[in-house]
Formats: sequence, C-alpha cells, structure tokens
Amino acid sequence: MGVFVFLPLVLPLTAWPVARLAEQHLHPRIATRLLTALSAAMALCSTLCLGLVMVVGTAQLPGNPLPDGWSDPEVRAAVPFDEVAGKVAIPALLAVLAACGRALWRHGRVRRRAHRALAGLPDTGVAVLPDGVPYAYALPGGRRDRVVVTTALLECLEPAERRALFAHERAHLAARHHRFLLAVQLASLANPLLRPLRTAVSYTAERWADEEAAQAVGSRRTVARAIGKAALVSRGAPSLTLAGFAAPGPVPRRVAALLAPAPVVRSWPSVFTEMGPAAWSAAAGTAVSAMSSANSAVTMLFILHAATPL
Amino acid sequence: MTEHRSGPRRRGQGELEVQVLSALREADGPATAGWVQERLGADLAYTTVITILTRLLAKGVVTRERAGRSFAWTPSSDEAGLAAHRMRRVLDAESDREAVLASFVTSLGPDDERLLRELLGQARAEGED
Repeated sequence: MGVFVFLPLVLPLTAWPVARLAEQHLHPRIATRLLTALSAAMALCSTLCLGLVMVVGTAQLPGNPLPDGWSDPEVRAAVPFDEVAGKVAIPALLAVLAACGRALWRHGRVRRRAHRALAGLPDTGVAVLPDGVPYAYALPGGRRDRVVVTTALLECLEPAERRALFAHERAHLAARHHRFLLAVQLASLANPLLRPLRTAVSYTAERWADEEAAQAVGSRRTVARAIGKAALVSRGAPSLTLAGFAAPGPVPRRVAALLAPAPVVRSWPSVFTEMGPAAWSAAAGTAVSAMSSANSAVTMLFILHAATPL
Repeated sequence: MTEHRSGPRRRGQGELEVQVLSALREADGPATAGWVQERLGADLAYTTVITILTRLLAKGVVTRERAGRSFAWTPSSDEAGLAAHRMRRVLDAESDREAVLASFVTSLGPDDERLLRELLGQARAEGED
C-alpha cells in the first residue's frame, strides 16, 4: 500500500479552499451539510489509517499481545518508514481517542448540568432567567429542547427583535445543529488539519439559523439588528487576537450577510466561479482519502491474515 | 411537585434545593428548618434540610434571621432566580462552552464593535428610506 497509507492524514488540506469559500458563496444550510460531511469522512479515513499504521508499530514492541507473525518483515514492508511511523502512530492514535472521548464526555456533562439547573422551572420551551448577564442559547435534549435566555438580553431588544432571537434559537434546535457542531469538533480533534472546517461550520450553522429566523419574522434587517444589539450588550473581554491581524469576527459578518440580499440555494456550484474548483477539489480529496484508506485497510487485512498462523 | 414525593428514591442536590425553596415560598412569612422538613415529608433528615438551606443562603436565594435558638428562613428569590444562579455556575465552569451550546452571539474582536456600529447605523438609515 506504500505511501498511500499516509495520504488520508494530509488530504484534509484539499478541503481548505472550500471551507473558506463556502462561507461566502453557498447557502449556509448547504455549506453546513457539505463541510460537516467532508469533515466526518476525512476524519474517519485519517483515523483508520492511523490505526493501521499503529498495528505495525505495536507489533514491533516486545511483549505485545499481537500474533508474532504481525511483526514479520513482510508486514512491516507494507508501511514505509515502519520503525518511526509505527511508533509515532501509537501515541497519536491514543491522543485522538482520548481527546474525542473527553470532548464527548464534556458535551454530555454540560448539557446534563444545564438541564438540571433549570429543574425547578415550568416545563416550557423557553426558559427566561432573571440575570444581569445577557446571554441566550439553545439547549437540546433532556425532557424537551429549550431556549434559555436572560432578562438582561430581552430588555435590550424590541418585540420584533425578540421574536427574531427566539426564531434563531428554535432553528438551531429544529435542525439539530448541535450534532453538526459535535461532528466537526470530533473531526478536528481526530485530525488537526480539519480545524478550518470546524471554524467554518460553527459560522455557517449560525448563518443558517439567522436565515431561518429572517424567514420566520419576515425581515432580514430585524434579525441583523437583534444580533448587533445582543453582541454590543454582551461584549465582554475582547478575544485574544492581535488587533493588527484581526479579520472581522463572525458577528459583523453575520450582520453584513443579513443586510445583503438573501442567499440562493444551488444544488452544486458552477465550475466557472471560484467556488466550483474549490468544491470539486475538496470532493476529489475526500474521494482519494476514502479510496486510499479503504485500499490500505484491505491490503493490511490480507497481509495480516496471511501472516497470522492459524 | 407530586412526582417528587412518589418514593424514597435518592434525590439530587439540585432537585432538593428547588423543593426546599418552593416549600419556603409556600410559607406565610419566615419559616424554620423544622417546618420545611415537615412540609417536605419524613424521608428527609433535619440536617439535610439545614445543609440545603445553607447552600441556598450562599446563593443569595434565601435570607435568615435569628428566632430564639434557631433561624427563621425567608425566600428572597423565586425558582427562576435559583435556576439563573445555577445556570451561571454551569456556564462559568465551562471554559469552552461554545463548543457545546450554540450561543446567540460570540464575543467581539478588537475592531468588531466599530464595524458593527457602522453596519447597524447603515441598516437604520436604509430602514428609514
């Protein structure tokens, strides 16, 4: 299988252009689904290949529980640089598994604790908390999905803007956005090269909910005002970016997108725009990634089967 | 509230806090821990009630004043106030909660505030046309 086994580890690079361009040129719903699917597929392939390389690495270690045949020269010849790659793959795979496990556990814990905090309130879809700190978020799961919002945030919004806020949060819950966000989070932990896709999806998921809210309240400008006001009252410590390098953050970009005309839904971007080549190269990267990891997995199975004395 | 009295199953601290606060809110005026215990049923130890009340006091949800040898407790907030306090604890404990809970707005970068005000000003000007 040669160097093909390492390809899925670096092929996420082919998705970088589409991650950057999809934010601006695709409908946020399509961008979210596309980028999440790319992330998940590439993360699975990359983890699979890491696993295959790890088997070779583990078989070299003295006292390992694997069959002796697995450390034969024929098996090791299947992986280039088997000495180094195999040994590096062991801690790498363990780190991936630990990070993903920890992320899943924390995800569950935050949701459980948040639901428990609301235990004494009436069982309604919206929980209004008397708090001086303005915040709002969608809380999925539990006995029922809930929108949590504080009085401080509601007080600074006009009635139409409040409707926009609730419509935005309900859109998150209705479209199960937390699953997309969790998927790209796990993918970016499995392969750090997928991080730009995670950043892109957390933005497009917000944009998706913004567009749904704009449709629900019938005014893009109202949603833009609600987001702008909420961001201005809840501004806390500035994020840790250097002022000189700071591109506009997600909030101004969302507001600007809402003040612009509504995005159109296209099934697949045209080849003649810059979006076309980016989408095609990401699709090709994913396909190559899937093929080389499948190829590596099958080759490895055959080699190990042949090397196993039964 | 009837479902909470269905049996002697072990109840979480959070659930107990809500029950003790609700009981206090049903009292006419300040109530003692003994009164709360009686109100909630016999399966709750007196010391547990005191523990819960002290925890609610730390959260600023109840107040107390000396009445003879014990304390008389008064609620100073409702169940929503208690929920708000506990939610803040949950949110403050998570450094990257935005990974889990999709927040309505994220924090603004250094130049974002100026940009945002410009955009909103522009939206207002267009809205008046």
